[in-house]
Amino acid sequence: MPESMAPRYTAFVDGVAFWAPRIPGWTVARSVLRGESEAQAQPAPRPAPGLLAPTERRRAPDTVAIALEVAVGACENAGADPRELASVFACTEGDLAITDYMSETLAHTPTLISPTRFHNSVHNAAAGYWTIGTGCMRPYTALSAHRYTFGEGLLEALVQAESNGRATLLVAYDIESRGPLATMAPSRGIVGAAVIVTPTAGARSLARIGWSTARGTERTAPLPRNAELVAGNAMAACLPLFEAMAIEEDRTVRLGLSPSLSLEIHFDFPTGNEGRWS
Amino acid sequence: MAQLQTPEEKELAGLIVSALNLEGVDPGTIDPDAPLFGAGLGLDSIDALELALEISKRYGVQLKAEDEDNKRIFASLRTLSAYVQERRAT
Amino acid sequence: MKPLRVTSHSIACAAGIGLPALSAALRNAASGLRPNDFGESPLATWIGRVSGVEDVRLPGHLLEWDCRNNRLAWMGLTSDGFLERAVAARNRYGADRVALVLGTSTSSIGATEEAYRRLLPDGQYPEDLRHPMAHTPHSTGDFVRAALDLEGVVVTVGTACSSSAKAFAQAERLMRLGIADAAIVGGVDSLCGSVLFGFNSLELVSPEPCRPFDVSRRGISIGEAGSFALLERDGEQGPWLLGHGESSDAHHMSSPHPQGLGARLAIEAAFESAGLTPDVVDYINLHGTASQRNDEVEARVVADLFPAATRASSTKGWTGHTLGAAGIVEAVITFLAMEGGFVPGTLNAQELDPACGPQVRLSNEPADVRVALSNSFGFGGSNCALLFGRDTHA
Repeated sequence: MPESMAPRYTAFVDGVAFWAPRIPGWTVARSVLRGESEAQAQPAPRPAPGLLAPTERRRAPDTVAIALEVAVGACENAGADPRELASVFACTEGDLAITDYMSETLAHTPTLISPTRFHNSVHNAAAGYWTIGTGCMRPYTALSAHRYTFGEGLLEALVQAESNGRATLLVAYDIESRGPLATMAPSRGIVGAAVIVTPTAGARSLARIGWSTARGTERTAPLPRNAELVAGNAMAACLPLFEAMAIEEDRTVRLGLSPSLSLEIHFDFPTGNEGRWS
Repeated sequence: MAQLQTPEEKELAGLIVSALNLEGVDPGTIDPDAPLFGAGLGLDSIDALELALEISKRYGVQLKAEDEDNKRIFASLRTLSAYVQERRAT
Repeated sequence: MKPLRVTSHSIACAAGIGLPALSAALRNAASGLRPNDFGESPLATWIGRVSGVEDVRLPGHLLEWDCRNNRLAWMGLTSDGFLERAVAARNRYGADRVALVLGTSTSSIGATEEAYRRLLPDGQYPEDLRHPMAHTPHSTGDFVRAALDLEGVVVTVGTACSSSAKAFAQAERLMRLGIADAAIVGGVDSLCGSVLFGFNSLELVSPEPCRPFDVSRRGISIGEAGSFALLERDGEQGPWLLGHGESSDAHHMSSPHPQGLGARLAIEAAFESAGLTPDVVDYINLHGTASQRNDEVEARVVADLFPAATRASSTKGWTGHTLGAAGIVEAVITFLAMEGGFVPGTLNAQELDPACGPQVRLSNEPADVRVALSNSFGFGGSNCALLFGRDTHA
């Protein structure tokens, strides 16, 4: 098989955030993923979107709440101004609770559809609320690629960062499926993950990555003890990236982009305080 | 000092709070004459539509966006309640 | 940016299936809208329904993706020789070197709606609907990937009405960075209860055929369409993608920024990316949904930014608002204008809103369209402006 003709690019990870019910927040997630502590026994309740003004906050469904939680978290982690960031929102199944609600209501009383829930049903609802909440007028996109959603989302963020020469925020999330739809689109729990990538190193960059697309079906698996923390969630495929960011050892992570294409991320972590990137 | 709500106003206040998910608002404390939109409770056009839907489901009263009287009907809890009570089917 | 050539394009929409049919409808001012006859107890509105979707039979190996959206996708793929050109591109560049970026708003949700209507007593979907890939946002992207046997980047853009316009920008970046050598972009959205009753709940749907920019407009007419374009670095024929610009309104989920600030940013970014200025634009295909607010805001933005002689129109009176497919549909209409030497008017509009400047045209006009702008401004404040040219230079 001929070598892939895709070039390799360099980028930097400036900030990360993570949320799953037993590792709610990057501080605890990082520690648990490194094996330094146990995940909490009791699942945390869904986060409240503090970023939003009261009118938006009371309307925000679970997808928006989790997406904004990690978006805010990544910006805080990076010390980044949200208004400066273009963003990529990646969600596999959309708002599963609203899809269940819409389908149920349409089956019985279609003229009684809630305008609020309909306007929250668009795939870009979280992205819309984010830009409204932060006043950010930079472009956003909202993507899905089924089981390759995280890989495609990260690729798009990296492509935007490289081609636009600026920091880009990736926000990935999926929630629990409900009702009959769960038999076709299964997903358990709530998972949110975010990362800020830039084409050039900043004072607070956490990692350097060499990235490229490559033919192949090999995918990086997370450690089994970590995998169970997001098991069954439609966004579980994001975990290897965050595990790598937590463990901070140079390694290659392969994420799926499509059945026979992957995104290869070669991690390079800083050593010592001087001359961070060799 | 806030005016007292009639029983009908109290019921409608409860519907407003639950339909619009007004966290932390006690329906009994809504001043019947205070504005619902803009100032006062600070509701917006999506809330108006949502409220119209819930009112139609609970009371069988239809409210349409193009109704010229909407500003008056939706002005306060009192005016909205009066309108609903006049026309309710259930 | 380096221009890319649109070497093939196709369409299936309410105004015509195939480019010749759509071109004739545009020239003859023949609207594709009809009184709503979709589903049981249809709302009293007008829709852009594509005839014959129900009769499409997908090839046997693609049945696991069967749903209205993917049948409409198949109609778009098999129109205008597009499938053959796409397969030839796959063979020429390699299956992993052709990216696929498609826009949609509701994807296959109609299939989920049907499953809920016909639920079995035990809560299971009926057997004929028990295909997971017909009940997920990426359904059509995955369907087209399978239909064309592609092995590269495959992704669905879900940014409401700007989706398939943004697909052009996303594909251009992939090609610019050498991740793909060609790209299939497009969009598919189909009629379903969610959009009809959903937009109805927001009171955005007109009881009569939509009339964009008309002083008495009463809302949108929802349409469906499947449409595709092939982007290459060069080719024997076809218009060029000269530039693109994107932005966010950061204002409200269902109302545009009152001063059109996001729209202005996207349009300005498109000109910057193309290295062009507004005075070279011969035709603007406006977003023009016939909603009160979009048209008011967009009219002012255009009046502010463009010379009086620039012709502009909304073509949603022909096709309806095809939501996630609007970007590609209106790009294709723009190509027809370029190739055909005319500018379509704003069908169904009779008296223009005073907010309109001299740019907005009611009727078709002969015109030499060398450079065109196409606007797509989405629910949730997502904006995209695309610049196309007959040649690579203005």
